[in-house]
Amino acid sequence: MDNLGELLHGFTIAVTMPHLLLMAVGVLLGILVGVLPGLGAPNGVSLLLPLTFGMQPVSAIILLSSMYWGALFGGSVTSILFNIPGEPSSVATTFDGYPMARDGRPTTALATAFGSAAFGALIGVILITFLASWVAQVALAFGPPEYFAVYFLAFASFVGMGGAAPIKTVVALAIGFAIAAIGIDTVSGSVRLTMGIDELVKGVNFVVAVMGLFGIGELLVAVEEEFHARAVSSRIDWGEVFRAVARLPRHGVALLRSAAIGCWMGITPGGPTAASFMSYGIARRFSRRGRYFGTGEVEGIISPETADHAAGTSALLPMLSLGIPGSATAAVMMGGLMIWGLNPGPMLFVDQKDFVWGLIASMYVGNIVAVALVLLTVPVFAALMRIPFVIIAPLIVIICVVGAYSVSNSYLDVVMMLGFGIVGYLFKKLFYPLAPLVLAIVIGDKAEDAFRQSMLMSKGSLGIFFANKLVTCLIVAGIALLLLPLALQLARLRRKPEPPSGETTAQERAQEKVII
Amino acid sequence: MISRRALELATAVLTGSFGVAVVVSSLDNGIGWSSAGVDAGTFPFLTGVIIVVGSLYNLVRGVLPVATLANVPIAITPTELRRLAGLFVPAAIFIAAIPLAGMYLASALYVFAVLAIPRHQSVPRALAFAAATALALYVVFERMFQVSLPHGALAAALGF
Repeated sequence: MDNLGELLHGFTIAVTMPHLLLMAVGVLLGILVGVLPGLGAPNGVSLLLPLTFGMQPVSAIILLSSMYWGALFGGSVTSILFNIPGEPSSVATTFDGYPMARDGRPTTALATAFGSAAFGALIGVILITFLASWVAQVALAFGPPEYFAVYFLAFASFVGMGGAAPIKTVVALAIGFAIAAIGIDTVSGSVRLTMGIDELVKGVNFVVAVMGLFGIGELLVAVEEEFHARAVSSRIDWGEVFRAVARLPRHGVALLRSAAIGCWMGITPGGPTAASFMSYGIARRFSRRGRYFGTGEVEGIISPETADHAAGTSALLPMLSLGIPGSATAAVMMGGLMIWGLNPGPMLFVDQKDFVWGLIASMYVGNIVAVALVLLTVPVFAALMRIPFVIIAPLIVIICVVGAYSVSNSYLDVVMMLGFGIVGYLFKKLFYPLAPLVLAIVIGDKAEDAFRQSMLMSKGSLGIFFANKLVTCLIVAGIALLLLPLALQLARLRRKPEPPSGETTAQERAQEKVII
Repeated sequence: MISRRALELATAVLTGSFGVAVVVSSLDNGIGWSSAGVDAGTFPFLTGVIIVVGSLYNLVRGVLPVATLANVPIAITPTELRRLAGLFVPAAIFIAAIPLAGMYLASALYVFAVLAIPRHQSVPRALAFAAATALALYVVFERMFQVSLPHGALAAALGF
């Protein structure tokens, strides 16, 4: 039990006064961005990023990851109390959370959501504790072809399992790769794709892209619809909190199933949003009370919440042990790691034990801090929702502008950020997924380097990707995932020769709306 | 009013032209195999080609009367368009004003304009919000985190 010893050592790093304070600050900021429409976990984390440059890496990652937990919780608060999902991943929570709160049981809904979310996160962290160092050990033996194969698999699983239109996903991915290639080529040193703008030699920073795509883009989507925040009472009845949590074990099957779905979707980059919808859908099909779903069923809250948090947490596993982030937010954090001078990937487990295990231990503590803080602050943040959107919107614009500028003190970045805002709006409006775009911007260079190094090794023969069992398996699995949407389409055509009638349920439409 | 189809077409044309730009630009770096390995332009060239082909597919899907698209004939209604412009136009003017007026003055003016001109808030309250925004930016960035935000050509001319 080597891992447990390391974990205990991690706790001595995570449970210190300054770090606990950072966790509290991170969680509160996270709840704030989670509650506010137009700001989410990805751009919340990237806003904080420039402020962490002077910190110790372990303190910085604790701050950022705590913000992530806070944002996940904050999104559920508005889903349940206002029927307005603060985060795309908490849309499925509105289906049963809001009806239950409207029926006069807001505390039950909130406590059930937070309790199952904490359970999901716990399973995710346990998975990381026991699996991450093992995966890293396997990955230590990887050469460039294996790395390229793993990247390929990650990108292919977005196409195959992301839930958005496959070709739109491919276009989003390819645009991300092209953006990553802008600037100086690390292998040959030549300048690429600057299109005549000299300042682009430094490349396009992913923070600028995230601010525009998620910040301005989401704001433009949000401003279209006028918000009517009709809140149900946000008073917390503490006795009911404990009773609701005590009732959770009765739904053990739903909890475990949702956690498993969440972990799977988190490790393969399906992301928390897809995980929560999938979990909700499966719960509705298998639950004995499935036909009551949508009217305030307990399992209708448990399933999406558990999967959402399990996916959010386990998305950090591939980031830590392989250097491949499992979600957009994890991609931003990984960008942070590189800025702090760390090299995400298996070597972290050898060179930066304090960092890795400090982070893993902080996940246990951070989630407890998050549950406590979110329960204590629900009334405060619920009051925040009553601030008119016309005041919040310009503030978010200013935050994004300042954030984009402060990355490298460049005005061009601000202009590009606005451009990314327009792209983000169009993409969101037309259901192009944004997560693969960000992912490709962050790790596009590494994937390209891995490919070119492999080609150097094999003197230009693609055969190197089928040279041994491991690499062949990864590549074949990737190709299979790429072809999955096509196969499903063919199967559907064979079963039903006429074109689909275009009837979709309200829930399916809601799902299409938020897959990013 | 903007139809879903028009929006799909516009986006596909946008992504497609970016793809063409990437392809053309990467040809300068050379594509294919040379003595130093894979040429620098190869990878961007491939992604550019994928973008162009994918955009063409999306373009065609946007034109064809497919059932799922027929469900949402209108993507942006006139009211929504007005709201969008109400957010985007002031934000774009704000960003355009930064080089001249500097971050602090521009953001204060921006907050004042969006609150006072559509009469969401009274003029004194809007002024208070504007001043508070600029002050908060100054304290957080210039003082706490030592990040210098642009002061603008105007401030430079006045000798700040």
